[in-house]
Amino acid sequence: MDPSLNPLASYLPLAVALLLAGALALIIPSLAAVLGPKRPSAIKSTSFEAGSESSGPARQRFAVKFYVVALLFIVFDVEAVFLYPWAVNFQSLGWFGYVEMLVFAATLVVGLIYIWKKGALEWES
Amino acid sequence: MNLPTLTSADFFPMLPAIIMVVGACILLLSEVFLSAHSSRGYQAVLTAITAVIAGVVALKMVFEPAREVFLGFGALDPFSSFLTFVVCVALALATLTSAGFLRKRGAERGEFYALMLFATAGMSLLAISNELITLFVNLEVLSISTYALTSFLRRGTRPSEAGFKYFILGAFSSAVLLYGAALLYGATGTTHLTGMVLPLANAVRTNPALVYTGALLVAAGFAFKVAAVPFHMWTPDVYEGAPTPVTALMSAGVKAAAFAALVRVFVTVGPGLDPQLPLTLFSTLALLTMVAGNLLAIPQRNVKRMLAYSSIAHAGYLLLGVAALFATAPGEAFSLLGSTSLGTTATPQAVARAEALRGILFYLLAYTVTAVGAFGVVSVLERREDEERGTAWDLERFSGLAQRRPGWAFAMAAFMLSLAGIPPTVGFLGKLLIFRSAVDAGLIGLTIIAVLSSAAGVYYYLRVVVYMYMRPVPEGAHALERNWMTEFALVVSTVAVVVLGIAPGPVTEWLVQAGHLLGR
Repeated sequence: MDPSLNPLASYLPLAVALLLAGALALIIPSLAAVLGPKRPSAIKSTSFEAGSESSGPARQRFAVKFYVVALLFIVFDVEAVFLYPWAVNFQSLGWFGYVEMLVFAATLVVGLIYIWKKGALEWES
Repeated sequence: MNLPTLTSADFFPMLPAIIMVVGACILLLSEVFLSAHSSRGYQAVLTAITAVIAGVVALKMVFEPAREVFLGFGALDPFSSFLTFVVCVALALATLTSAGFLRKRGAERGEFYALMLFATAGMSLLAISNELITLFVNLEVLSISTYALTSFLRRGTRPSEAGFKYFILGAFSSAVLLYGAALLYGATGTTHLTGMVLPLANAVRTNPALVYTGALLVAAGFAFKVAAVPFHMWTPDVYEGAPTPVTALMSAGVKAAAFAALVRVFVTVGPGLDPQLPLTLFSTLALLTMVAGNLLAIPQRNVKRMLAYSSIAHAGYLLLGVAALFATAPGEAFSLLGSTSLGTTATPQAVARAEALRGILFYLLAYTVTAVGAFGVVSVLERREDEERGTAWDLERFSGLAQRRPGWAFAMAAFMLSLAGIPPTVGFLGKLLIFRSAVDAGLIGLTIIAVLSSAAGVYYYLRVVVYMYMRPVPEGAHALERNWMTEFALVVSTVAVVVLGIAPGPVTEWLVQAGHLLGR
């Protein structure tokens, strides 16, 4: 089909790649399951915990502070990602781009002051 | 590098949203410097003032000429400005009822008002979005703020249930909408609504399945947000579990913003589609929503739940107006909407389409002042202790209210009459405008069903009035606390309901303006 008629036609290689990846993901583990030797032992069946003796079940409750810190890290990390393309194009963006980035950073500073004063950055409380 | 030039004219339509975001940042920053016992009375006042300023700015913009901004990503037109005004009204009234509500529960926090402002900023940006990705991002801004607001009063099972349900189903519907948008992009190669019309007309011929699937998925996503049957299941539980002022903002503001986006998407890309598709689609949705909403509301003894089902029914009447937007005479090209562009040669259907758009806008304003007022009365009558038992919103609460608080009872009676569509209230006028345009558009059977189902609705609205005026005060009724801000909001809503119902006055002039969508 003429690609100009159907804009989806240009996505065909992507579909092929997806199909191949999906097929490989199925084939390789099933080959390993069929062909591989199976000699289970007690020590092999325990869950792997960085090489040390495993202690307790895996379904423990984690303190919520881990999640808070992870979330905050993502937010400010993404901010840094935005800064890179801006810095590369700084010359051509001119004053407009500079002010735009100041507004963006100011919004994040509001967020930073908020979480700081709220105590989200205190580990022991 | 070729850079687009943005001028201050591009940022102008964002002004109401910018004002609200600045207000929200002030509230967030001031909140963290307060101690637990500091007075937080300023927060509701500041939010209400911010909402009023943003609303006035939006109203000024109604008279700006329509134009594309941000390289076509946004549209400044009277339609978007009027809807921004409506959501600002909803925010101002809902905020005034929140202060007393939150103080009684010891939950007055700057974050609550900041989230309300962020949600409303999202709504106003949704109204100006003219591109699918911008539209989706703004829809998420408003949705995520309302998810958080729904479970703001965390204690107890109801807020958690409501927040969880709303979040899961809301995220799911956003995904459906996004998938539809992706298919439309695949079919046309663009996400700009105005640029989509011509490629869409081609794609309908070469690949109709893709276009129709995309359009249906987008419509389903919006149907969830406006709580249309069969995408309404979440509404009663979420509306009941959310703090009452938040329910007010959801039922008025979120609905108005979602209708804004729905109308803009389908009216803009309409000329590229066969108008018969949106006509059939929205007629079916309207039929199901009107009938099911009204019938399900009848057995409710819980007034908050009843108002939730009633908001579904009202979405149905609005969908009837949306269906009327797509009525075309045989052989007529679907394009005209604005009233001034209608020449003498305009077909009756073109006139009906212009009327329907004005009807939808007026109805949204009418429903906003009425519903926020009604939820305001509900919020002053409920008590925290009764929520887990589920009796906080029982009809019994309204027994003898006319003897205890005649002012509140009068206001509630006015809101109920307006929701039922009885003159001389604003709800009557809104229904009149929508039903008349639907008849002119030729949707006569559907309009008869609409009138009949709204007649069924009179039963459950008037039952509240009967309880207030004809039942004795129950034994051991708890004392009713007064709060000047809530009462002020009730006065404003009541005056708006009655005055706009008798003399719509300047609003009709705004509506003639607001009947213009970009480029029409």
